[in-house]
Amino acid sequence: MKRDLMDIICCPLDKHDLDLDVESEEDDEVVAGTLTCTDCGETYPIEDGIPNLLPPDMREETPA
Amino acid sequence: MPETPTPTPTGDPAPHRVYDRIAAHFSETRAHPWPDVADFVAERTGRRGLDLGCGNGRHAELLADVCETAVGVDASAGLLAEARARAAEREYADALALLRGDAERIPLRDDTVNLAVYVATLHHLPSREARVRSLTDLARVLAPGGEALVSVWSTTHDRFGPDTGFDTTVEWTLPDGTTENRYYHIYDPAEFRADLDDSALDVVEAYESRGNAYAVVTS
Repeated sequence: MKRDLMDIICCPLDKHDLDLDVESEEDDEVVAGTLTCTDCGETYPIEDGIPNLLPPDMREETPA
Repeated sequence: MPETPTPTPTGDPAPHRVYDRIAAHFSETRAHPWPDVADFVAERTGRRGLDLGCGNGRHAELLADVCETAVGVDASAGLLAEARARAAEREYADALALLRGDAERIPLRDDTVNLAVYVATLHHLPSREARVRSLTDLARVLAPGGEALVSVWSTTHDRFGPDTGFDTTVEWTLPDGTTENRYYHIYDPAEFRADLDDSALDVVEAYESRGNAYAVVTS
């Protein structure tokens, strides 16, 4: 993802802004990192350059 | 016991996981945009476009042509990978941002979208309440004056009889012969209109075309 995407994305749960924590970046693209809701604290991974903003209950890794 | 002819949804209750499993084959069969969507986009422009339920991005490409930037949102990682590859091949990747997200809880801020398409996706959401909530969330992200085209599979499609809306599963057959079931709510046009009216969207125009019900909406 490009950093300017931060201007429009938000937490899917409460629609508050997100903080970006970059783990790796190539050219102008954030390849891996974490997005954290500034209000509820929920974290969302950036996977292979694509922010995964699925609500936690829709993630595959959610324990059964 | 009375007969109950209404098909009961079976299979994976999460369509996005089904799409993960069929993504590559599904994408091969979705090379071209729908003419009705192309017509809608061609008459409009906007700063930022949104393709909600973008699949392989064939309609996001249209938005990337007429908007400064386009955002494609899908719940399936497999389809997003197809969308990224397609954008690179066809050279619109610079104008397209991809996001994994749920159409019922859109991860975009209020009033950020000037032109949107929400094509053949709403009918995968598992309840009427979820579908109305999704339409209301689309209204939230649409900027004042922004317009969206929403489409669903309709009972007027020639594979269904004229009927009231119903829940069903539609099989996808992979090249190796295995099948995957996808949940659909098939809408009758009046019911589609009622769901739109119960959401925060305003309907500008509603019509039927090629077995789909369409609505042009604003926030």
